[in-house]
This record gives sequence, structure tokens and C-alpha cells, in this order.
Amino acid sequence: MSRLLSRRTAHSGGAGLELIDAVPVRHPWRWVGAVVILLILVLVVQSMTTNPKFYWGTFRTYLFDVLVIQGVGWTLILTVTSMIIAIVLAILLAFMRQSDNPLFRYVSWVWVWFFRGTPVYTQLLFWGSVGALYPKIIVGVPFGPELFSWDTATVINATVAAIVGLGLNESAYLAEIFRAGLKSVDNGQMEAAEALGMRRSKVMWRIILPQAMRVIIPPTGNETIGMLKTTSLVLAVPFTLDLTFVTNALASRTFLPIPLLMVAAFWYLVITSVLMVGQYYIERHYGKGVDNVTKAPVQATAAAAAAHAKPVDPADGTTEGGRP
Amino acid sequence: MTDTASIKKQESTRTKPLVEIQGVHKLFGSHHVLKGIDMTVKQGEVSVIIGPSGSGKSTLLRCINLLETISAGRIYVHDDLIGYREVNGKLHDLTTKQIAAQRREIGMVFQRFNLFPHKTALQNVIEAPTQVKRQSKAAAKLKATELLEMVGLGDRADFYPSQLSGGQQQRVAIARALAMEPELMLFDEPTSALDPELVGDVLEVMKDLAKSGMTMIVVTHEIGFAREVGDTLTFMDAGVVVESGNPREIIANPQHHRTQEFLSRVL
Repeated sequence: MSRLLSRRTAHSGGAGLELIDAVPVRHPWRWVGAVVILLILVLVVQSMTTNPKFYWGTFRTYLFDVLVIQGVGWTLILTVTSMIIAIVLAILLAFMRQSDNPLFRYVSWVWVWFFRGTPVYTQLLFWGSVGALYPKIIVGVPFGPELFSWDTATVINATVAAIVGLGLNESAYLAEIFRAGLKSVDNGQMEAAEALGMRRSKVMWRIILPQAMRVIIPPTGNETIGMLKTTSLVLAVPFTLDLTFVTNALASRTFLPIPLLMVAAFWYLVITSVLMVGQYYIERHYGKGVDNVTKAPVQATAAAAAAHAKPVDPADGTTEGGRP
Repeated sequence: MTDTASIKKQESTRTKPLVEIQGVHKLFGSHHVLKGIDMTVKQGEVSVIIGPSGSGKSTLLRCINLLETISAGRIYVHDDLIGYREVNGKLHDLTTKQIAAQRREIGMVFQRFNLFPHKTALQNVIEAPTQVKRQSKAAAKLKATELLEMVGLGDRADFYPSQLSGGQQQRVAIARALAMEPELMLFDEPTSALDPELVGDVLEVMKDLAKSGMTMIVVTHEIGFAREVGDTLTFMDAGVVVESGNPREIIANPQHHRTQEFLSRVL
């Protein structure tokens, strides 16, 4: 809205300089568009508030229900832990894909092929039934005596199955995002680092990956928000504590599906908003030196000494100034 | 490994050339880029290579620190065969670890600077000493500050590359290479990507470096630099060394018609 109303305000500068105070181009259709959108918005809000079938009273009752809040917690846990697993694996897979070692390259390729090529729902079903396939996990000498054994059901319970299933599936998608990020870094960076005598693994970790992160973060944020919603598939395991399952269960108990869908939607939106704030800060961190740097005076003379104390103007909202 | 290298260093100083390039060929597929290059560079010498683009001069430079592998011939730096181990006349590839060790002795400055954009000037300079040589951060910073002072950028230590001009970036790149205390510096057209008014500062730093006794191989189009600072000048064209010798003599009185033609175009 402020954009619509924006007007250039010219402050007359010092030294009798007459600044240009031009009449801006008028945009009457913007006003028309704004009025139409506002009208639609009012109608939507009006219908939602006056339609009794939304049962807003029920919405309010269940919004902070203990089961719902626990569901929010579990959904967050599933999202965060499976994304952490996926990111660690994706870095490994992307590095392997760029390796000189052909074995690493093939393994990475096959991994991505498999986990991207089968539905996540199917994979979750599989992890849920791994206990039936292998009732015991046994560590021992191959074809020889067994050393330790555990019940599969206790090691891979529903939570673990859900997290592993989501994480492994996601790692395949993220691996491609990370690979694209690594490829986006100029080849000269690798050459410069190698010319300094740095080993390839060190170059990847310290020089290439931090720069690739600029490209990696936005799609990874996308994937994280996608994962938040994908966690609703864990009923395949079956895992029954996440937000979608809980609100569905409450809905069938109360025979009021709409208000409980609204409860779920509300919490998904809240979490997404929080994740977006996090993404903003992560992006800013990895953009240092490239995005949002104030251009310092280029000619190194007297001005440099003054600028030296604070190379990045804090008023500009940028972080990561010089460390002495 | 480093012990034997340092012993060798003491023995061979001044008796043998620091860099020996013997019959080097380079093929990119069927494209024959270097066709039998022979060249020597003595300790403390500034060797300037000029030639038209596509003549193979940058490729030769990149072969010396293994950014490219050679197809035939031998390159020795300080009696170390670059890239290979010779056993009973048969060459064996070096491991990545051994290659990295060889590169540490050779500094390289690139046409497009290739500073690490996510690190400040100071962080660029201390990266290799702390990560490769395992120097303490404090010691590396002290040395880096000294080097940045030397290239005239003591007040720019905390600036990111994007906040520096091309000429300043290139001088940081020189400091970064020097921080590893190499015995040989390679310059791959260090001023070709710079605005004309910024070239002088970089050349000034290179002159100081030459005066300090650093062995340098410089691929450049700066004929003035070759005349003033160079100990030898090599003119390359189409993958061969056409002419080589005292820079002042060659520039004033080129013997080969291809050298004459090239110099008449750039001077």
C-alpha cells in the first residue's frame, strides 16, 4: 500500500543547489486494482465470520488444546530432525558426486536415483514395516557368530521410522540442490585454493561450500517448508502424534472437520512464518561479502583511514563487519 | 619430505636453475597447444613471457603448478619433478597430497584475481597459512598484516573483495600467494583485467617483489614491465618459443619476423 502512495520527497540540499522536484507519473489503475482487491478481501472476511458452519467457537477451543500443541511440537521435531539428517547426507552426496573416485560418484548417483524415484509414502510404509521384515538386528561376523542383537521394534520405533523415512527421501532432493550450488561457484575459486596448496576436501569445505550456500539456502528453505507439510504423511508408518493426525482425530471425534482443519492450517502457517524468519538470517549470513555490502570508496587514500574503523555501515543493516 | 627439500635447497642454489622445463607438450584432445617448450629460470630471476593470445603462454604457466597436466616432457622446480615420481624410467602419478605439497612452494596470481569473496582481505591472506601450514591465527595475522602493508593495503585488511577495486584485489591476491612463502611466483596476465589507471599500482608491487629477489615467471602484455624488470624475455607463438633472451635487446631489435610483427602491434 505504501508503494501506491509513495511520492518522491525532495529535500533541498545545501549550497543553494536546486534539486529536481518532478511530478511523478500518475497510476490511476493501481488505485482501481487496490479497491477491487480490498473489496474481495472484505467479502471473504465477511463470509468467513458470518457463516456459522465455520464454528469459530470450536476453533478457539481447540487452537491451544494440549493435544494440538503436542502435535505442533511433534511436527516440528519431525521436520527439523529429518531435515538435519537430509542436509548432512546431501552435503556428503554432493561432494561424492564431484569426487575423482568413480565409486563415490556411482553410489551417490544410485542413491539419488532410488530415493527420488520411489514415493515418500511408500518409503514410510517400508520403514514402518521393517520390524516385520527383520525382527532382530544382529551385529556379528558375516556368516559367523553373532555378537550383539536388538529387537528391531525397539530400535526403529515409529518416531525413528518416520524421521529416517523422511530424512533419506529428502536427502536425494537436497543432494541435487547442493550439487547445483557447488556448480554455481566459479572454477577460479577451486584453482586459486588448490594453487595455495589446499587439499581438495578442504577447498570444498572452506571455500566452495560457503559460497555455494548463497545459492543453496533459498531452495533448501523451500524444501524445509515442504517437509513441514510432508510430515503429515507419517501416518503411513504409522506415527500418530503429528499435527495433521491429531487434528483429524479430533475432527472425527467432534464431527466438526472444518474448524479443526482451520486449527491445523493456522499452526502450519505460524511455523512456516517462523521458518521464513530463520531463512532470512541464514541467507544474510552466507551473503556476507557479496550481498548487501556497502561499496567502500575505491580510491585508497585519505578516505580509507576513516572508513577503516567500520568497513560495513551498520545503519545499512548488514552484519559481519571486519574482525580485527 | 620437507627436510630433504630444504637440504636440496641449500645444495642447489645458484648452481642449477630453479625451474627447468624440458620438451613440454600439451594436447587438449587433438588440439596441440604446447609443442616442445624448453625453458629455464634461475633463482632470483624474473622471466617474462609474451605472445599473442592462444600462443600457449598461460597454459605453460598453469602446467608449472599442475593446474594442467603436461602430455609430454618434464618440468622440474628445485629438482623436484612436477606432478610425477620417476621410478626406473617410468612415471607414476603423485597423490593429491603430494601434489598439494608441491603447489605450496609455488605461488600463483591469476588474471581474474580469484579472491575468496566471502572472506575479507585479511582472511584471504591467512587462509592457506592457517589451514595448510597450520600456523597459529595470531602469527598468520601478524604476517598477513605485514604483507598487506607491503602491497599498500594495510588499511584495507577488513574489506571484502567486493569493496575493493580491481587493482586492490590483485594486490591482495599477491599478498595471499606470498603468505605461503613460495620460492617461485607465477603471474598469469595479472594486469589484463584491470582498468588502465590501476595497472601501475600492481606493477609497482611486482617490481618491489622482483627487487627483493623473488623468482618470478610473468605472462603479460606489459612490454614496459618486461623491459624494465625482466631478466629474460621469451616470445611464444603457436605453442613454440620463437625467441628468448635479454628483454631490452629483443624489444629493441627482434630477430624473428613473428616477434617483430607482434611487438609492432603492441608497442
